[in-house]
Amino acid sequence: MIISGFFLSLNVHAQETKKNTIRLKADYIKTMNKEIAFNLRASSKVDGSNIDVANIELNVFNEYNDDSVKLGSTITDSEGKGTFLVNDLNLIKPDSTGLYNILISFNGNDAYKRASKSLTYKDATIEAKIIKEDSINYITATLKDTATDSVLIDQILNVQVKRLFRPLRIGPEFNTTDESGTIIVPVEEGIPGVDGMLTFEVVLKDNEDYGTVKAQVTAPLGIPVVDESTFDQRTMWSPRSKTPLFLLIIPNFLTFAIWGIIFYLIFNLVKLSKS
Amino acid sequence: MENYDKLLNDLAPQKFGKKGVIWTTILVVLTIAGIIAYIDQVIKGQVVTNMNDYALWGVYISNFVFFVATSFVGTVTVAVLRLTKNSWRTPIVRIAEIISVSAIIMAGITITIDMGRPDRLLNLFIYGRMQSPITWDVIIIPTYITISLLLLYFPLLPDFGLLKKHFKEKKPKLSKWYGKLSLNWTGSEAQKAIQTKSIKIIAILIIPAGFMLQTIDAWLFSTLFRVGWDSTNLGAYFISGASVAGVGALVSVAYVLQKAYKLEDYITDYHFDKLGKFLVLVCLVYLYFNLNEYLIPQLTSKKEATTHINVLLTGQYAPLFWFVIIGGLIVPIIALMFKKGRKPLPMFIIGLLVVVTSWWKRYLIVTPTLLHPFLPIQGVPESWRHYFPSIHEWLITIATLAMALLIITILVRYVPIIPIQRTADEQEQLRTGKNLES
Repeated sequence: MIISGFFLSLNVHAQETKKNTIRLKADYIKTMNKEIAFNLRASSKVDGSNIDVANIELNVFNEYNDDSVKLGSTITDSEGKGTFLVNDLNLIKPDSTGLYNILISFNGNDAYKRASKSLTYKDATIEAKIIKEDSINYITATLKDTATDSVLIDQILNVQVKRLFRPLRIGPEFNTTDESGTIIVPVEEGIPGVDGMLTFEVVLKDNEDYGTVKAQVTAPLGIPVVDESTFDQRTMWSPRSKTPLFLLIIPNFLTFAIWGIIFYLIFNLVKLSKS
Repeated sequence: MENYDKLLNDLAPQKFGKKGVIWTTILVVLTIAGIIAYIDQVIKGQVVTNMNDYALWGVYISNFVFFVATSFVGTVTVAVLRLTKNSWRTPIVRIAEIISVSAIIMAGITITIDMGRPDRLLNLFIYGRMQSPITWDVIIIPTYITISLLLLYFPLLPDFGLLKKHFKEKKPKLSKWYGKLSLNWTGSEAQKAIQTKSIKIIAILIIPAGFMLQTIDAWLFSTLFRVGWDSTNLGAYFISGASVAGVGALVSVAYVLQKAYKLEDYITDYHFDKLGKFLVLVCLVYLYFNLNEYLIPQLTSKKEATTHINVLLTGQYAPLFWFVIIGGLIVPIIALMFKKGRKPLPMFIIGLLVVVTSWWKRYLIVTPTLLHPFLPIQGVPESWRHYFPSIHEWLITIATLAMALLIITILVRYVPIIPIQRTADEQEQLRTGKNLES
């Protein structure tokens, strides 16, 4: 009985489905005076190929002083991606050293094992503004460590104009903060913008300690984009409510004229039958 | 009257003989086969055709264009010959009017066959955009059908009056129908005045209507940017092509009816000679437009245009293209330049050749262009880059051609092929020397 029980249990274990391992990736993005976002991604190696793991719940915890406070959760999309937004910055608390510790965890399911990923970052701020010197507009930005209120030197900041799909880089390729933690980049002339408004972004990108920090400043420094939409015009490609006038008048005139004559001819047939 | 008696004996509609019954039966069988294929198409959808993302128009559209072109015969022969006071037209105008009516009715039916959702036909009228050439087509085709029917009907009134009397003893029921259709025609001065005035109006009206029909048909293609279609030449090209197709059809049908009904005394060698000269004239004009259409892209040598032209001149469609040009234009032009070529039998052969090549010409207009879009379509099977109609498409197309011939056959059965009253009037004029109002 003992031996059969042993073999039975072996058989049971052999029949258990092998669960795959999930790899979690997390990026921290802070937009000044707006929200904090954690961009999460879940993937797994199944049958030798990497696949995105969709539709799983990822929980986000803030760990400080031996406490683990759940901030919320998000569900991955078809590409295995999920974004967790934190609108109120005070919800996330640092530990005693000023480090923010975030834990992203997955509780596991029938197909995948439990998984977790830790994310640690320090808070940085970028103060960006537009200044004008000798008729030239500049973007100036200062990078600081929030906890120590000290400037961060020799950090690379990207300066770009916000666009619909990909941002437009302006200024030199590498903008390194100086001793005062500041960069200054001239704004090129002739950049088009809706109503002449341009939204500039100063970005500390994928920093080891501070993650991604972005500051935005909007200013009317662009060339107004002329809206050439023909939506409200009467064109050959507009809907029937906006038919060009000549196409309303001439075909209808011809149609009514010809059919008027046809009805006259039919009337003649009636006249003929009665005469 | 002796005159009328002979004319009525010769020209009154006759019952079909054995050949007529066999002919009609064949046409009915072909039509039924096509209807069955069409029902299957409606049930299963257009997947039964070989149309695809490349060939989104196929043989249905080229067939439609052929019918529209052939219907131009009413404008070209009846109206134009009348307005230019060509009195030799009398024996052939009725045949032209019948072909015109038959062809334009079949054009309306054929285009509906190409619709994936024929139950939504009314939407074309209710929701059509005036910017679309399809909307213009939807307007002009019923208009031309109506005008063609009036062009056929008005001159028939006196003939129906004569037939009512002719069949009163022999076939009273038929006589009654002719009586109704004659609208109480007594030949009074008032009736003649109304009829003459109306025919004059129709003859003038059908010319702009016919021109508009052919031009709109051309603009279905030339308002698109496709190679081979994007041409300012296309409107006039289609009008001249329609003249060729129409006159070719008229010649073919006139010969068959002349032989079948022994009308050699009425449709004479003289008429075929005149039609032959007319046909050679329209063929020359059409040849000129073909030169414009095919030579200019070779001279300007835009890459896509030369690729398309080379497919026609030397490539996949070369045999068909040269058959159409040589058989449909060059041979008729040469043959019809000679008096012997304008005799009835050669005219019939040339007329048939012109009709057949006219049909294939429309196929060459529609299909090769669609198989060479500017941007190749990604991710489709290789077979989609080629097109040949499926069994369903052939059955339905053949059925539409059979239906056109069936309409002609039925009209010829009940309507005098040659205008009886007008022929009598012309004979009277010859006898008395009085001028006949044209």
